[in-house]
Amino acid sequence: MAEEYWRWKEYNWHSPDIDWKQAESVTAGVDVGSVSSQAVIMTDGQLFAYSNMRTGSDSPDSARNAMNWAMEETGMTLEDVQYVVGTGYGRVNVPFAKRPITEIACHARGANWMYGPGVRTVLDMGGQDCKAIHCDERGKVTNFLMNDKCAAGTGRGMEVFADLLSVSIEEVGDMSFDVEEEPEPVSSTCVVFAKSEATSLLREGWPKSKVLAAYCSAMAHRVFTLLERIGVEKDFAITGGIAKNSGVVKRLEQEIGFEALKPKHDTQIAGALGGALFAKALLEKERKK
Amino acid sequence: MIEMFQEWYDNRHEYVKNWKEKNGGKVMGYFCTYVPEEILCAADILPVRILGSHEPQDVTEPHIFGMFCPFCRDCLAQGLKGRYDYLDGIMIAQSCLHIRQAFTSWQLHIPIEYSYYMTTPHHIQSPRALPYLTGELKEFQKSIEEWTGKPITENDLDRGIETVNKNRRLMKQIYEMRKGDNPPLTGLEAMYMVVSSQMIDKEEHNRIHEETLNELQNRTLDRPAGERLMILGSEDDDTEFLSMVESLGATFVVDDHCTGSRYFWNEVTPNENRLEAIAARYINRPACPSKDWPERTRLPHMLNLAKEYGVQGAILIQQKFCDPHELDIPAIKKLFEENDIPTLFLEFDVTVPVGQFQVRVEAFLEMLREEDLF
Repeated sequence: MAEEYWRWKEYNWHSPDIDWKQAESVTAGVDVGSVSSQAVIMTDGQLFAYSNMRTGSDSPDSARNAMNWAMEETGMTLEDVQYVVGTGYGRVNVPFAKRPITEIACHARGANWMYGPGVRTVLDMGGQDCKAIHCDERGKVTNFLMNDKCAAGTGRGMEVFADLLSVSIEEVGDMSFDVEEEPEPVSSTCVVFAKSEATSLLREGWPKSKVLAAYCSAMAHRVFTLLERIGVEKDFAITGGIAKNSGVVKRLEQEIGFEALKPKHDTQIAGALGGALFAKALLEKERKK
Repeated sequence: MIEMFQEWYDNRHEYVKNWKEKNGGKVMGYFCTYVPEEILCAADILPVRILGSHEPQDVTEPHIFGMFCPFCRDCLAQGLKGRYDYLDGIMIAQSCLHIRQAFTSWQLHIPIEYSYYMTTPHHIQSPRALPYLTGELKEFQKSIEEWTGKPITENDLDRGIETVNKNRRLMKQIYEMRKGDNPPLTGLEAMYMVVSSQMIDKEEHNRIHEETLNELQNRTLDRPAGERLMILGSEDDDTEFLSMVESLGATFVVDDHCTGSRYFWNEVTPNENRLEAIAARYINRPACPSKDWPERTRLPHMLNLAKEYGVQGAILIQQKFCDPHELDIPAIKKLFEENDIPTLFLEFDVTVPVGQFQVRVEAFLEMLREEDLF
């Protein structure tokens, strides 16, 4: 079987230092995205456990799998989780969620927790779409813009390129800087056009690194135009899978003229994390009643 | 009674076929709301606005440019598929190039007894627009008289004017009721009301209207109104979209669409010179952006509507590639946001990508909503 270069690392994690049984609130956010799914569990507003995996064809199954995997080896069961928020494309298909909230609101809230209350612009570069979000000091959305009708500038597009060039998706970013001089970007409006263009560049003898540079640069430019339409206010943070791709991030920072905040957590969990934080707020309101 | 509007809209072709059988009159398919329906009614012709069906299709590819709007494509497709085979004539009043392309392709490829291209001034803000349009209406009246073989008398014109005016007045009265804290009808129901009026015998429509008006006095929605939204932009009879938005707990309370308020907002003010009175009405109506220059008169009008109807957020929606509307979007967005009315911009295609639109609308509503999440 051919190697799956596009496949990124799926994993789970839980904090060895937290005894969840002592917690007053146990809440979770489950983000069923178009490409990846995450479950984040928080105890008293602290990050306790999470999982990050590929979304399957069935949203409820993906939600259950992500949640079970996050709880693995923690002794926690679904009954112990007091409030679950569903988000992402499959937000209404999370069977154990009490309330669906959009990934736009969740990413802003998650970025606010991950990067601090100074964040005013969040760029979520997800699997199949891309959102530029403005938020206030609480992480409440004040304005947003989403790309549409096109997968350029998204994780799925990057997967297509990793596969075409037989380069592991995690190495794409670094390899794209292995060029003597920055090439012209490829078509930035369509993944399929960009791929055709890349195929002919390879035929012309371009090394893989140069093709990747041309694609990363096209992608950076594409999301930059989205950001420009809404305006980039500092602090600026990036969430989603593409935030891990230095080839896109550094080129984007160059276009904007300043740097994005450095992530301390896995940027793919931002949506589910925001969901877990909303779940905590909703749980507290429920208890007050 | 209000359900009747949707029934008419859903079964518009059957309605018109039955009307023809019963009345034996002629039916005119028209492409733009600048068409003077008063003159058609005066000649006892049934005006029927040609609209799309919101289904994917592949019959218009050879006829319409790729960068023309999905609406003009969808309209032409209906003709090419024979869904309007009962029409006796088609006509257009010049507004934009895209819909005119649908009209001329129809003329070329679908045999029909009568067709008329009515020149309508673009520079309606010019003092010369009124005599110009009055002259065009005179030519049009003559053409209709030749076609039907029957002169249109001043009494006929008065009757035509009054029928159409009454229809407008009734719709405005129902819109008025949407200003209250608890609007008695949804935006979707209001849309069915207006679009059905564009294809149903006006007198019959008026009768149902009067009953609806009474019925609405004691009606309330079966849910709280939620966020009060305005929807504005190009041609829009995308009932699926409105229904999706309102299913999320918000209510459209007003609009600026040619399938909504723009169609009926002002009446003909009677005047000895009937044709001039009709011309003045079309010149003074809330403008289509293709005619709204050099001054943008739409801006204060729309902001006024938003304020009068207590709008909390506005959805700006347009047909993809609709340049006249697209040109106005940045100015509208700026004006509304300066007045603390957040906006959400979306682009229509023949079919609506409901999932993609829903996430945007939901996020927009979350933004407007109270702070229960914080």
